[in-house]
Amino acid sequence: MKKILFTGLLFVSCLINAQEVTNDTVKSNSVDTLKTDELTRLKESVDDHSMKLAGYEERFSALETVVNELSKIKVSGYIQAQYEMYDSWASDGSQHGIPVTGSAYEDNSFYIRRARIKFTYKPIDGVNFVLQPNFEVHQVTLKDAFVQLNDRWLNTFSLWVGQFNRPTYEIEYSSASREFAERTLMTRTLYPTERDQGVKLEADFATKFEIPLKLQFAVLNGNFGEGALANQAKDVDNGKDLMARAVYSFKFPSKGLGIDFGAHTYLGNTTVIAQTSPVTVFSDVNNNSFTPNVGDKLKKELFGTEMQLYYDFLGGLSLKGEYIRGTYSGTTNTAQVNTLFNANKVRNVEGYYLSLVKNVGKVNEVSLRYDVFDPNTKLSGDGVKTKDDLKYYNWTFAWQYYFNDYIKVMASYTLPVNEKSLNAGADYIKDKHDNIFTLRLQARF
Amino acid sequence: MKKSNLKLFAFLAVIMTVGLSFTTLKKITVKGSDTMVILSQKWAEVYMAKHPGTVIQVTGGGSGVGLAALLNGSTEIANASRPIKPAEVQKLKAKFKTQGIEIPCAKDGLSVFLNKSNKVSELSIQQLGDIYSGKVTNWKEVGGDDAKIRLYGRESSSGTFEFFREHVVKGDFAANVQTLPGTAAIVNAVSKDKYSIGYGGAAYAEGVKDCKVKKDAKSKGVLPTAATIKNKTYPIARYLYMYLKSKPTGETKAFIDWILSPEGQKLVVETGYFPVK
Repeated sequence: MKKILFTGLLFVSCLINAQEVTNDTVKSNSVDTLKTDELTRLKESVDDHSMKLAGYEERFSALETVVNELSKIKVSGYIQAQYEMYDSWASDGSQHGIPVTGSAYEDNSFYIRRARIKFTYKPIDGVNFVLQPNFEVHQVTLKDAFVQLNDRWLNTFSLWVGQFNRPTYEIEYSSASREFAERTLMTRTLYPTERDQGVKLEADFATKFEIPLKLQFAVLNGNFGEGALANQAKDVDNGKDLMARAVYSFKFPSKGLGIDFGAHTYLGNTTVIAQTSPVTVFSDVNNNSFTPNVGDKLKKELFGTEMQLYYDFLGGLSLKGEYIRGTYSGTTNTAQVNTLFNANKVRNVEGYYLSLVKNVGKVNEVSLRYDVFDPNTKLSGDGVKTKDDLKYYNWTFAWQYYFNDYIKVMASYTLPVNEKSLNAGADYIKDKHDNIFTLRLQARF
Repeated sequence: MKKSNLKLFAFLAVIMTVGLSFTTLKKITVKGSDTMVILSQKWAEVYMAKHPGTVIQVTGGGSGVGLAALLNGSTEIANASRPIKPAEVQKLKAKFKTQGIEIPCAKDGLSVFLNKSNKVSELSIQQLGDIYSGKVTNWKEVGGDDAKIRLYGRESSSGTFEFFREHVVKGDFAANVQTLPGTAAIVNAVSKDKYSIGYGGAAYAEGVKDCKVKKDAKSKGVLPTAATIKNKTYPIARYLYMYLKSKPTGETKAFIDWILSPEGQKLVVETGYFPVK
């Protein structure tokens, strides 16, 4: 019986073992199949993803080409919207404000002072195309339009051809950065609308030679900002005016001090391009009358110096000044007239300004400027016979608040104080009330 | 004192302690050069460990990005692997009425990376310029195999890009330069591609070989080492800078002073750069 039982157990055991071996074989076979299937699926998935990636890469390359092209175009600009109040009275107190069209007078207004977009296209290294239109309510005018070629070997020279700012400190200091509502009377009179057409060569020795010297030399038409817009498109007298400027920067890092010194000159003429019948009589620098002939060149020669001091004192401070003197000429000819020097005359002129700007904390800035302009240095007091020859002493107080890097508010108050004369009109026997308050919101991008 | 008052007092004390602990944290922001990110992070890490009350936030983006951030007031310190440009100084003057503070904090040799199996191991500045401007496109033209040269470089916002363009390429980069974000990415790409070439900070050269650089065809090739950068025989060396809009004060000053101290400069060496002193 025991033998039978033992044999039975042995048989069962063998059967079980045989079953396990069979199971193992089946299991092994199915795992292999599974692995193969998974590998196949994985391979398919990898192939699929590779194809997708190749597709994305192709699309990315195409997009990258477009983005690279677009990155060569830079768009910036700013808008200045403001509210102005004019404290301007007629001598008899009968009228308040400044005259507008017809007989109306206005003493306050909203005004879009600037709406500009600047496009800069840099097709290759060293070449810039700049186009800056200014949008006004009634017209669009071209402010900057030039090609700038930078030398790629010395990183020192650049050539500008087209329409650009005349090279003086106050002109080149952007209106968007300026701490006062307007430029000084001196700059506005002597360099109307700031720009001119021509060619300019600049040399900046700071990058390559580590010499903080900048030289600028320009040949200009000389009539931009004068006369009707149509007359400004081309030169009206063939004669070209020259400008040159040099600026050297001193640095005293341990004292947190930097001082820039510079000088500039303007050498040009106002050519008499037409005479009237009866003839137009001009007035010379000594206030004597003379009658120029067509083709005569009246002197326009200016010499200026400048200084800008930057002091790292409690958040930053700047003290800036410019002084310009020379001989300037103007005409009432509609093709050449400078609205701020609107007379047939040649004059010795002189002007200067000093401005102090202090940053207060991170978002406030207070500014003070004193500027003087004498359009006729040969006459003073009661000797001045017309208001155009009166000397002006202007005070400007301003405060700026920066919401962020793009938006700021400015409050600016200008007090022009004129030279008094008994012979220059009733308004100027005493200081004319002609102060201006400006509240401006500026957004730039 | 009543028990309830004691609880209230304890509660207020905890609130005030927690509040004060937040208000006494001093935060310094550093942004800019990707070349300097590792070094700056190391400085920040060690300094913060020594000064638990100070938080230093370091981000890259490129020298141009850092200087732009300094100009718009979003960073206190701008890291730059190139000197500030005159136009950027003008913007500092216009906005902050200061000319900015420049602090050279380390020296760097700009390495040219080659794959370890590349036959070429020495190139002149002229040859490098020709390669990166696309005038030379095959390795055989500079003594290597007959294979097309694959170019890797940095984005245009990078100070390394500008420095290399100004001192080596001296003109436009070829259109087929593949731009990568950071020297580490360039090193990685070159290490996997036998016929490629890249450039970047010397501190990153792992898994690739540094190319010997010759000032001109007749000069001897020089590797970027501490000695050759210090004695100025390696021709593509530069300072690394920190820029601030005005004189540093408080914790920022303490951090910068520490960077320029022997301890801070020791980290410069450990990170693979070269001290300024």
